[in-house]
Amino acid sequence: MTHLLHRAVPRFLGRLLGGLLVLLAAASLTFASLHLTPGDPVTAILGGASANPTPEAIAAARHEYGLDRPIMVQYALYIARIARGDLGQSFSQHMPVIAVLRAQAPPTLALMASSLAVAWLLALLSVVPTARRGVAAAIASTLETIGAGLPQFWLGILLLWGLAFEWRLLPPAGNHGLPALVLPTLSLAIPLAGFIAQVMRESFDLALDQPFILTARARGLGDGAVRLRHALRHALLPCVSLSTWAVGALVGNAVAIEIIFSRQGLGRELFLSVATHDMPLVSGIVLFIALTYILAGVAADTLYVLIDPRLKGTRP
Amino acid sequence: MELTILRGAQALGSLSMRPLPFPALPRRALWLGAAALLLATTGCRRHQSRTTAHEPVQGGTLIYATDREPICLDPHVQGDMPQVFLAEQYLDSLVAMDRSGHILPWLATAWTVSDDGRTYTFHLRHDVTFTDGTPLTAEAVRANLDHMADPHTQSSTAGGYIKQYAGTDIIDTYTAAVHLRTPYAAFLEVLAQGFLGIESPRALARPRDENCQNPVGSGPFRIIRWDHQSQIVLARNPAYHWGPPTALHTGPARLDGIEWRIIPEASVRFAALQAGEVDVIDSLPPEAETPAQRNPDLWLLMADRPGNPTNGTLNIKRVPFDDIRVREAFIRSADIDGALASVFFHHYRRAGGPLSPTTPFYSPAFEHHADYDPDRARALLDQAGWTGRTAEGIRTRDGRPLVVHIPLKASLSAAERTLWEQVQATARATGFDVRLENGDDTTILEREGHWDYDVRIGYWNTNTADVLRIVFSSAFLGAAGVGGHHQNEAGFSDPAFDRIVNDALLTTDPDKRRALYLQAQTIAAQNFLQITTYPQSTRLALSRAVHDVRLEPSLNVTSLYDSWVTR
Repeated sequence: MTHLLHRAVPRFLGRLLGGLLVLLAAASLTFASLHLTPGDPVTAILGGASANPTPEAIAAARHEYGLDRPIMVQYALYIARIARGDLGQSFSQHMPVIAVLRAQAPPTLALMASSLAVAWLLALLSVVPTARRGVAAAIASTLETIGAGLPQFWLGILLLWGLAFEWRLLPPAGNHGLPALVLPTLSLAIPLAGFIAQVMRESFDLALDQPFILTARARGLGDGAVRLRHALRHALLPCVSLSTWAVGALVGNAVAIEIIFSRQGLGRELFLSVATHDMPLVSGIVLFIALTYILAGVAADTLYVLIDPRLKGTRP
Repeated sequence: MELTILRGAQALGSLSMRPLPFPALPRRALWLGAAALLLATTGCRRHQSRTTAHEPVQGGTLIYATDREPICLDPHVQGDMPQVFLAEQYLDSLVAMDRSGHILPWLATAWTVSDDGRTYTFHLRHDVTFTDGTPLTAEAVRANLDHMADPHTQSSTAGGYIKQYAGTDIIDTYTAAVHLRTPYAAFLEVLAQGFLGIESPRALARPRDENCQNPVGSGPFRIIRWDHQSQIVLARNPAYHWGPPTALHTGPARLDGIEWRIIPEASVRFAALQAGEVDVIDSLPPEAETPAQRNPDLWLLMADRPGNPTNGTLNIKRVPFDDIRVREAFIRSADIDGALASVFFHHYRRAGGPLSPTTPFYSPAFEHHADYDPDRARALLDQAGWTGRTAEGIRTRDGRPLVVHIPLKASLSAAERTLWEQVQATARATGFDVRLENGDDTTILEREGHWDYDVRIGYWNTNTADVLRIVFSSAFLGAAGVGGHHQNEAGFSDPAFDRIVNDALLTTDPDKRRALYLQAQTIAAQNFLQITTYPQSTRLALSRAVHDVRLEPSLNVTSLYDSWVTR
């Protein structure tokens, strides 16, 4: 136990430091990219060149947001502010960034969670009953490849057109209730399920070739039990790693999906805030995504150990 | 004012309306579709009236779906169209404007204008309270005008319209004397706009960003909740008995409340209406207009907005449009009528002159002053020395090709984009190399600030012919001075024109103003400063269960004060 703790503490500190570095890099890259692209947030705040702001209003806005200071000073203040845990005030939303995150993160997290869950469900249903079963395996494998190749936004438009516009089975827009979550979830989950299933199928096939499977069968275990209790466990590990990547990819793809389905969420907010060069809001959302990604990594590590107890020795 | 916030993935929207190829879906998608069928059981609202009521019905909630979310619910801050649509439901104004452009009493029962035109004395109603209990007094008028004029408010529209504001004196509890630095005959007209609506002074005293979230007015509804990116919830103000003179009834609103939903995607918004998920949608997309007309469950309500119509303004500060002959040639080489017919399915009319037909003092004389005439365009280019030709048929002068740069903002609607592609095609036939240059909004705004364009696409919604001063007079060439902001996008500078539009502010005599604005329209048209395309418009599609939705005349924004639903 003490031995384990000895190893866990430096590992935890290392992870923490790594996480902080990732956050610092994300904040700095956001700052740099928004300052390197042309455009002036004040024009966006005050409505652009064809609005009618007075020179005093422009000067006041510049001063209020500190945009009249030298860029290095702006950067230093920005990092110092984030280090204090203050995400600042959004220029374009007239709200504290933290309030925007509080309102917009839950719908996006709900969409991500449901997409990941549905993707896993679809992958399991596609792989476990069909692996190494001739024609069924070939058909399922082909469907997985097609699924993995579908662009989310295209699938979203297709589902919207078919299930919402033509057949009127599901609401086309909004956040109201569970039915509104179905189409966005399917748009994100089907391609992801294709990816997960491909990886799962490969490891599943490999596992089925292992000697312990033969042993299990020799003990008289039925095919279903062999698949679920022995082969599946081996096939899950690479899929867990893939899911960590998927958490990041889901946020990116949520931008298009939230716009298509007029859903609340961070993706749409990110799109709008980049367009208005709203630095505090963009960096707040980017940091939130980075944090989600880091936490997904930690969760994956924990899951590894749960799935494969052998890892306890090497990875506490 | 100009549209600045993004309209979402417009391009995707138009795509989704086309019949897409429907390949065989993966098998599991099909059974999921079946599962979805089970889920989609409730929630569908019917369009048809359950009763055949012809008398207004009290109660019920109306669901209104719009394309863009206001960035701040207080219309004094910034001041974009989505804000004034919402403001109409919860704010009242000092004065109202009717369809013929007359100014009528509202919160102010009467007013006098001093002989020098610089002091407006307003006599207020005594019986108005804001929904936070604060009474309407002269103090409230002062607080509101001060708030609009305060640079910290970040007001682009209201603040810009009262640049002449000097201060307000309180004569007594219900009498306020508003002082202007210079005479401003359009003052009452702009006061009728919802952008200059009167808010509770107690609510205004809070920090700006707090007031943005839940501003307080004296209107027929009050704001209950704002779920960002989703909806704004309003409830009836039961005390309301000071409705505008243009309304259809008196007393409190008939609806219990409004759910103001944000659905950016045009085709999704229309589908939500067809499915009965919402009762009214605005910004009906052009491709949905014919289906909406044919749908027996729906009706349409449309009106053109006043102001400077949608246009491409020609930058006359550089080659080639520094030459009036090339400007006329370009305008005459663009087949706008043909483009409108194909892009908007014959639903939009051409606006040919510098003012939209619904603007006070509009003259129809300029509707055809620069119609499509490619032969004349070619003759003008010959006269202007653009006589050479490249291998592709582009005109040249001294070896330089005739290139026209048109920056297109990412937020530009798909329809507007297609319209300019058609202009590109027809102008090319005359020898113009029109380059449509895409960019994100802030990049394009920066280019515009530096006069780096030949054509600038925009419009200006306002209920006064004074818009001519804003878009063409030399005072607005670099008015704001910072970041290159200018509202006079043409770069036009003419002392005679300046004198006319400034003189028009000195008199409140309608005949004199009409004569002056006719001269101003003549000069603007004769100088070929803009390709005007179509008037900005409010386009609603409504369920048959919805009655008495009215368009408020000053900017033709939706008013749900009189509305009722039968369901």
